[in-house]
Amino acid sequence: MRARLLVVALAVLAFPSAAFARGEFDPSKEFEQHPWLGIHLGPLDLSITKAVVYLLIGAGLTMLMGITLMRVKVPGRRQAVGEMIYEVAQTQVAEQGLPHKAISRWFPYVATLMLFIWTVNMLGFIPLPLSGETYHHVPVWGIYAATSSISVTLALALLTFVFTHYEGIRWNGPVKYFRSWIPDVPKAILPLIVPLEILGQFMRLISLSIRLFANMLAGHMLILTFIGLMFVLENVYLAVIVVPAATAFYIFEVIIVVSIQAFIFAALSAIYIGSAIEPEH
Amino acid sequence: MLHTVIAAASGDTVKAGKAIALALGIGLGSLGAGIGIGNIFGSMIQSVARQPELRGELQGIQWLGFALTEAVVFYGLIGGLLAYVLV
Repeated sequence: MRARLLVVALAVLAFPSAAFARGEFDPSKEFEQHPWLGIHLGPLDLSITKAVVYLLIGAGLTMLMGITLMRVKVPGRRQAVGEMIYEVAQTQVAEQGLPHKAISRWFPYVATLMLFIWTVNMLGFIPLPLSGETYHHVPVWGIYAATSSISVTLALALLTFVFTHYEGIRWNGPVKYFRSWIPDVPKAILPLIVPLEILGQFMRLISLSIRLFANMLAGHMLILTFIGLMFVLENVYLAVIVVPAATAFYIFEVIIVVSIQAFIFAALSAIYIGSAIEPEH
Repeated sequence: MLHTVIAAASGDTVKAGKAIALALGIGLGSLGAGIGIGNIFGSMIQSVARQPELRGELQGIQWLGFALTEAVVFYGLIGGLLAYVLV
């Protein structure tokens, strides 16, 4: 590991490319969206941007993963991996949050969320020639995660939000469901508590989306900023420090953050939907 | 040395102040979350040491708690960035 890092550092020192002369470095530029293919339907802007391309690739890979890992004819190592993923989705995500009667209906949703977010997150740490910039007509390779855009995570959180209330109303009826939001407290402080409870339902939406968005954004920012220190301070020899530091953060993100965030999003979705189906009161 | 001080005093102090505020805000936010995450993993180690057979069940709760606590830093980060960009 250390030898490989040394080789990378030496390679960077040996070939200081023309990119070092760029001077101004702003890591937030990596997250700007430029439409590649403009699609405008009235007021709707459905242009194909970098994030959309990453999402499409992620969706394709998720389907491919499901087909190759779960539909195996001869039992082998591939099936073992598939069963491991299935077991995590079943025991750690679905059974923790969902009541028994709703598992068969909502297990596919939470398991898909987990796999899809994991794939999109993971795709964000694989360098792809999709940065939209060219250097002497050769596409620049870069890392970017679709989940580091608030629109993507907010859309996913909105799905959970809508399903939560839909299921709550479907299983309990509207009156019983909305009454379950009101806790058993003295009548005098009800005007204080009820707005807080309603606000809490919307805070779930915000916290669910911000958590994933900010985690991925901060992870990419950290790596980019560390590498970018070389350009900001215009000193090639900083590579000895910043490349190992960026690599360490990269490994931390890939091993821990990517999987944890996918798991958490699915687990919290299961818990929210489960708590709407079976309110405590 | 003197040149640096003069340059600092005559430079864009508003921008400098905002940068310091952003860094301080995120730093203090991480401090709280760091304590919280330490607590979670400490309790996890203690409970697994007492009852190793519960490890599987506790692990799910542990990661849930970890993510919920960790997210607090990012609320601070987003708030700080918003303030830095908008104000």
